[in-house]
Amino acid sequence: MISESRIGVYFCRRSSSPAGQADLAELSRYAAAFPHVTDVKDFGELPHLDPEALTREFTKLRLTTVVIAGDSPGFFKPAFARALAEADGDPERVRLASFREHGALYGNITERAKAVLCCAIYGVPYGLATVPDTTPVHPDTLVVGGGIAGMQAALEIADGGMKVYLVEREPTIGGHMAMFDKTFPTLDCAACILTPKMVSVGQHEMIELMTWSEVEKVSGTPGAYRVQVRRKARYVDADACVACHACMEVCPIRVDSEFDSGITTRKAIYIPFPQAVPNSYILDAANCTYVQSERQKCGACLKRCAKDCIHFDDVDQVIELEVGNIILATGYDVFDATRIERYGYGHLPNVLTALEFERLTNASGPTGGNIVMKTKKLNKRTKQEEWVFDPEGPRPESIAIIHCVGSRDANYNPYCSRVCCMYSLKFAHLVKEKLPNAKCYEYYIDMRAFGKGYEDFFERIKDEGVFVVRGRSAKVTEKDGGLLLRGEDILSDKVMEFPVDMVLLAVGLEPAPGTGELASVLGIPRDEDGWFQELDYNTDPTGTERGGVYVAGVCQGPKDIPDTVAQASAVAARVLRSIVSHRGQDSRSSLPLAQIESRARRLAGV
Amino acid sequence: MAVLANPRLVSELEHYGAQDVVKCYHCGNCTAACPFSREPFIFPRKSMRFLQMGLEDKLRGNLEPWLCYYCGECSEQCPREAEPGETMMAMRRWLTGQYDFTGISKLFYRSWKVELFAILLVALLTGIGFFLYGSSRGDIGIYDGPGAFLPSSMVHWFDWGMAAVLAGLLLVNCVRMWWFTTGRDRTLHIPLSSYVQKAWLLPVHFFTQKRYRECNRKRPWLIHLVLMLSYVTMLVLIMFFLHAMQSGPAIRWTAHVFGYAATIGLLGTVAFALRGRVRSVETHYRHSHETDWMFLIMLAYVALTGIVQHVLHRAGNAPAANVVYLAHLMGVVPMLVLEVPFSKWAHMAYRPLAMYFAEVQTEAITAREKDRAAIRAAGSQPA
Ligand SMILES: Cc1cc2nc3c(=O)[nH]c(=O)nc-3n(C[C@H](O)[C@H](O)[C@H](O)COP(=O)(O)OP(=O)(O)OC[C@H]3O[C@@H](n4cnc5c(N)ncnc54)[C@H](O)[C@@H]3O)c2cc1C
Ligand code: SF4
Ligand code: SF4
Ligand code: SF4
Ligand code: SF4
Repeated sequence: MISESRIGVYFCRRSSSPAGQADLAELSRYAAAFPHVTDVKDFGELPHLDPEALTREFTKLRLTTVVIAGDSPGFFKPAFARALAEADGDPERVRLASFREHGALYGNITERAKAVLCCAIYGVPYGLATVPDTTPVHPDTLVVGGGIAGMQAALEIADGGMKVYLVEREPTIGGHMAMFDKTFPTLDCAACILTPKMVSVGQHEMIELMTWSEVEKVSGTPGAYRVQVRRKARYVDADACVACHACMEVCPIRVDSEFDSGITTRKAIYIPFPQAVPNSYILDAANCTYVQSERQKCGACLKRCAKDCIHFDDVDQVIELEVGNIILATGYDVFDATRIERYGYGHLPNVLTALEFERLTNASGPTGGNIVMKTKKLNKRTKQEEWVFDPEGPRPESIAIIHCVGSRDANYNPYCSRVCCMYSLKFAHLVKEKLPNAKCYEYYIDMRAFGKGYEDFFERIKDEGVFVVRGRSAKVTEKDGGLLLRGEDILSDKVMEFPVDMVLLAVGLEPAPGTGELASVLGIPRDEDGWFQELDYNTDPTGTERGGVYVAGVCQGPKDIPDTVAQASAVAARVLRSIVSHRGQDSRSSLPLAQIESRARRLAGV
Repeated sequence: MAVLANPRLVSELEHYGAQDVVKCYHCGNCTAACPFSREPFIFPRKSMRFLQMGLEDKLRGNLEPWLCYYCGECSEQCPREAEPGETMMAMRRWLTGQYDFTGISKLFYRSWKVELFAILLVALLTGIGFFLYGSSRGDIGIYDGPGAFLPSSMVHWFDWGMAAVLAGLLLVNCVRMWWFTTGRDRTLHIPLSSYVQKAWLLPVHFFTQKRYRECNRKRPWLIHLVLMLSYVTMLVLIMFFLHAMQSGPAIRWTAHVFGYAATIGLLGTVAFALRGRVRSVETHYRHSHETDWMFLIMLAYVALTGIVQHVLHRAGNAPAANVVYLAHLMGVVPMLVLEVPFSKWAHMAYRPLAMYFAEVQTEAITAREKDRAAIRAAGSQPA
């Protein structure tokens, strides 16, 4: 019972956190004003907690309850719990006032931190005391990002009979999954799952697809948002274009293909891939001779197009939308491997990133799925030697895969990217399937085969004769025209050097570029790693700080396709619920402190 | 056979400067990056493991920390910021404490206050002793020759006496080091001839520090070499040519030129190291244990007072020269008495010894592996 409690409130900070932005002096005064709070202390940044001293202190004060307050205060819990137990208290009565985790990051941080602290002192779950009020809801929904997450959410809602606007920044929907050949662990053909979904999205009468578009501004309140979308000039009329390829055939310009991760080229007028939705060409103005020469040179495609759908006078359009809910599904980008020089990516031609390998091994990719080495070839047009993947080129006899590139590394991203262990195993399988005699090494730190069927998949890969080496490869160098990989195999305590023909870097996942801008346009926080901050990791992993704004897929944190799809469907259910019940959720921050306090008191039975 | 673990080992090593050992997740990046790590001594990751697991006895018998020169390569590449290089440094301090049978070393490393107190105490005793001696037999107005306040013959005998005691202490510690790392391992059969054959390695490693040169950056090696050679030159001058050094006021170039060179070497390198530690940019200077500071400050103090007494003597101001000389001795004696057997200076002996033992062991380990392979091969053959 709160009335018999003697509570100690202790502030602790972790140096890595930007906290301390909350006014701790004011928070201390606030905490001290509670009748049952016996002791308040600020332990400062990364304190070295001495459980014995704490025990003496707690015994002296006869504390029954301890509240540790700060950003991620759970970090400090063990010392406090031990001390409380040794002071004859109940270690279960160590409570956390987690500021950052409960959104004390944006806006009035101190005010929010007070609310979090108040709930912790009363022993009331923060989420329970702060259930936001409801608001009326506009029935239309905006989905930002057309990867598997965005498509799944859009389809669920549209199939439920509600209108969805799907805004995708690229010329086509599909996201990363469209680049893959197979998916782990089932080894299903990725395109066979994805293409029908893409087509449905493109044809659905309740989905208004806006590709090559971006969200610029969001105003309004939960349930009634006004959104400004910029539809970038495409120069090709997507409705009229029949993708006859005539324009592409005559275009003389070649640039690296984004969809193929740069392992081959595309023209200045192009379609990202044959199954793109919308199935239309697009003109890359930045690389088009006609545009750049101010209509003096070229213009070849214009003359070839039988359908007359190339319009050089196309301009950006700004479109205003009114929606009740917004779903963010902006996915990820991969880590830039050139940042780790010792792996040689960028100057050793046969060191590839995972996405490059996905395209290389993809049956509809530039080599028709043949895993070949990059070789020097004379470009007849420019008369220069170039490194290219020739479908008939030499097959690698040995391939090494390096895990955790850019992930779990304090110098880059400290978090685990969660999918790279599994896709690396998938790669090993694909190598063994296509080149049975090739040697394949996996250099891993820990094998994170966490999902359903994943451990089996790992065992299967080992049975297929893949060498798994436990250790992080330290560097890749050139040797006798091939590559030499050096690293410790910690299980045998030996530093190993493997000569290989090709190295694949299992690059980690990072928030898509523009995630920060989108977060500030919407006024929602991001976590320390840059992903959108979910409202509550355990009880509300799809909501955000703002009512009616939801997250789905990797943009909330690295995850695989099954988890992405599950989260997208969950979000769709929440959106549909709000539309059907005519009751949307207001933002948590809309609740004033006094109201949270009185709710907390009521819940605590005071 | 199970090994007894000491769960408090990590926190014990914290006193010696290892702050981040628990962060290590054993990726092996450091070992693969270390330019000094090679069969059969593969480090630093394994040592991190011994520490994390509390394998105190294994750690005590571990030569590897001495094979590390703190080039910092591993710490720079460590994805967890577990500071393996600094941990190796901390292990060297800890090992110094383990080899030392008196326990004094451990006290010093664990508490800088104790070390400071000991330094001051020894300095005070030295000061009082020499002062009483000087004022009872000599004249503070005379620096050298008959009636000198601190005659070189007396200081000379004192030096030799002190050297004998210190060498004795250090020798015992070195024998203990041998026992922990090499002697007690029953599986290693090291013939005496191997020790004799490889003995030449000791002076080579001592004087050239050649292994340090294998580091990618040459500057630390050079600084270290200059510091060490200057120090040794000074030691030789004092032990064998003290009389020539202290006579004057005219400069005796044949002896003094070496003194000057050594002083410049000492001061230059100390200044460099101090600057590095203050700026703490380079990996091997980023963390400083209290003992590192004390060591450098004492060295600087001794060199500076040495210069001043020398200059005053040449300038003909014998009383002032005598006073500064006394102050100088009050620095030299604690430095030698406390640092040589118990603290940072001890590594001058341990490091070359470790390389010597490592070399001797390598042969025995190779032989052992061969035997084991032969036994395995024999066992797998049908009878
Ligand atoms: C090499 C590799 C192999 C993989 N293999 C597998 C596998 O075999 N099995 C598996 O389960 N998972 C795999 N994954 C993980 C899988 O890619 C993800 O789980 C999945 O793609 C996540 O989908 P998403 O929709 O959240 O993100 P994405 O696929 O990244 O889609 C996000 C979409 O949003 C768009 N977008 C981004 N920002 C904006 C913006 N500001 N405005 C508008 N649109 C925007 C992007 O253009 C993109 O189309 C793999 C990952 C990698 C890197
Ligand atoms: S006008 Fe531009 S897009 Fe068309 S063919 Fe010429 S360069 Fe290519
Ligand atoms: S999933 Fe595997 S490879 Fe990827 S970061 Fe995590 S541990 Fe490393
Ligand atoms: S590099 Fe760092 S994390 Fe990896 S084994 Fe070495 S000390 Fe441990
Ligand atoms: S500091 Fe240098 S020598 Fe020492 S373990 Fe690290 S890499 Fe090896």
